[in-house]
This record gives sequence, structure tokens and C-alpha cells, in this order.
Amino acid sequence: MAVNKGTRQFFLPSLTPAFLIRAGCVALFAYLIFGHLLIPFRIKGHSMEPTYQNGEFNFCWRIRYLFSTPKRGDVVVIRFAGQRVTLLKRVVALEGEEVEFRDGRLFINGKEWNEPYIHTPYNWTLSPRRVEPNSVYVVGDNRSGLMQNHFFGQASLPRILGGPLW
Amino acid sequence: MSPVRNISKPLNPTGRESKSNPTAAAGPGSAPGGLLPRREGLWPGGSSGIISNGVKLKYILIALIIIALGAWMAHTLFQSEEKRVKKLFHLLSEGVSKEPGENIFTMDQKIKRIGSLFDETCEINIPAHSVSGRLTRDEITGYAARGRFHFAELHLKFYDFNIAFPQEGGAGVHLTARLTGKTTTGENVEEAHELDCLLKKIEKRWLFDRIEVVEVLKK
Repeated sequence: MAVNKGTRQFFLPSLTPAFLIRAGCVALFAYLIFGHLLIPFRIKGHSMEPTYQNGEFNFCWRIRYLFSTPKRGDVVVIRFAGQRVTLLKRVVALEGEEVEFRDGRLFINGKEWNEPYIHTPYNWTLSPRRVEPNSVYVVGDNRSGLMQNHFFGQASLPRILGGPLW
Repeated sequence: MSPVRNISKPLNPTGRESKSNPTAAAGPGSAPGGLLPRREGLWPGGSSGIISNGVKLKYILIALIIIALGAWMAHTLFQSEEKRVKKLFHLLSEGVSKEPGENIFTMDQKIKRIGSLFDETCEINIPAHSVSGRLTRDEITGYAARGRFHFAELHLKFYDFNIAFPQEGGAGVHLTARLTGKTTTGENVEEAHELDCLLKKIEKRWLFDRIEVVEVLKK
């Protein structure tokens, strides 16, 4: 009987003031953590493969760039539309730098840049362009498709929400 | 000899107060007498409180329901400008959306409706779909008809409205548009874009004057 009572109390707790206060605190804590600090998201698409696979689950760590700016090689979460649609991309060039693709090779300020995270060959060619102030240049890791079909380019720093937790 | 009734005795033949509801025993609006001390009520008539008086609580509830209904009717009948602006987007969403097996009459009606939502000319910039420039209503309906033709099923929805009225007869709207559907070749389409729109109020009707897709990543 004691087990039954305990089980019943767990699933159907009495709505006492203490219980309501505890439930309110848990709800507030969850809202602050998962609404503002660690925002959950699911990856849809193949543009960051093989680093991040389609369908994977992750969290956006909002305070990663609170006191710093993204560095080259960082994977960042970019606000794309409203508060719900975000992009996951890798920073390849910083503000003021010149970025270029020549036959599937990345050049920063005219020097070839080694990218160990790229596992599939690609043949992109993009004329040199300078990254605007307060912006970074982002590209996905999977460049096996056509350049025209890939979302990449300069993103302003205020649009960067944070980085993936893992 | 006619019988004389002793009015000092209670009507209750048992001569006892009702234990469960002494107030009710004494009648509405009066304080309990007898053994219980008379208390000064919040309301005239010696009521001992609002909650204890069922009749008055009923009136309060009726008043609250009437106030709530009035507020709801006022909210529904006298639409705010923001609501009218949102309605324009809702109509655009309805016009663009397409259900599988849509007949030609529905399609014609929807295309005409889309045209009526725009000003004589409207600036449209959607680089992803190679649509750019100031277009007339006919051109817009033509683009819409051709675009819808490629889809077997299409849904357009708007979210995250941020509406501002910078000047009289003008509204700036920043929002998210999500387009989902299936092409006639069976390919699934899912796109989301941030839009910057400018609306004009002409003859008490809001119309689209500019629609621009915000370019988040500049190549």
C-alpha cells in the first residue's frame, strides 16, 4: 500500500503551495536554461557532413561568444530567419581578410589554407573578396555539391548566436 | 377566542439554529442572530462577507462574464491596425498555398486574390528565385501563377511578426516566411527566409508596396 501511495503521489501529486512553488522554480529554470543559454536544435541537411550529420541533435551554447569573437575554424550557429531557423557553418575567414576558392582549395589573403575537416574533394572557384567589418566568412564542411546550391558567405557578427555544445 | 401567536418564538419548531448554514436560516442579506454575535458586514444589510454570500458572488461572476464578453467583442469588432496588417499576410498565405488536386476555378480565384493584395506596382527582391525589380500587379500574378504551377502542394506561412508604423499610412513589417511543399516531380521543398516588407494604406486597405528577402549570407 505504501508503494501504491508513493507512486500515486509521484504521478498525481497534491497541489500544495510548496509543490506549486517547486514546479514554478523548475519551469523558470528550464525556460532560462533551454530558452536562453542552451538552445536545443536538430540538424536538417548535409552541408556540415561529415562533422555533423543530418538529423543529429545538439545545443547552441549562447555564451560562447559573449566575451570573444569567433576564430577561424570555429563552427558557429547563425540566426537565419526569425528566432527558429538557424544555420550551422564553419568560419573560414575573419573581418578584413581576403577569401578565395581556386579549384577546390581555400586561400586566405592569397595563402592556401589547409582544411583537415574536409573529407571529400570539391572544385569550387570563387574570385577573391574581402570580408566586411563586423562580419565573418562561413562555409559548410560538405562542399561536394554545386557551389550555387550551397549556403555560404559573409555573416554579420550580431547574427551569430553561439556555437554547438559538442 | 382566536389563537394568539407568540412572535418571540422562532418559526423553527425545533427552536434550533441551522448548524450548516446559519446565514441561510436567517434569510439572505441578514446577519445570523441567536447564539452567534452580529457582525458588521462589508455590504449593507449586515452581510458577513462576499464569499459567504452566494447570491452576491453570482452577481460578481455574471458581471465578470459580461465584461469579458464585451472585451472580446470589442477586440473582434474593432480590429487594430496590426491585426489588419497581419490579415494581409494571412490572405497572401491563403492565395499562395495550394492543396493537391486543386481545380482550375480555385486556382483562378487565388491568383486574382494575390493580385488584389498588391499596390499598382510593388518592389520585389527575391534573389534566390531571380525575382527583382518593381513589378506591376499583372507581372506579380504571372509570377505567382507560374510558381504555383511547378508545385503539386504548397504551403506558405508567416511567423515572428515585427510590425512598426513609421509614418501615417505606412507600415514596416519584419517577419519569417516558411515555404513547404512538393513539386510536380515529387521533390520536397522546404525554405525559410527573413522578409522585410513595406505596406501602404490606400483607401482604408493595406497593400504590399515592397517585399525583400533579407540576405543573411553575402557571397
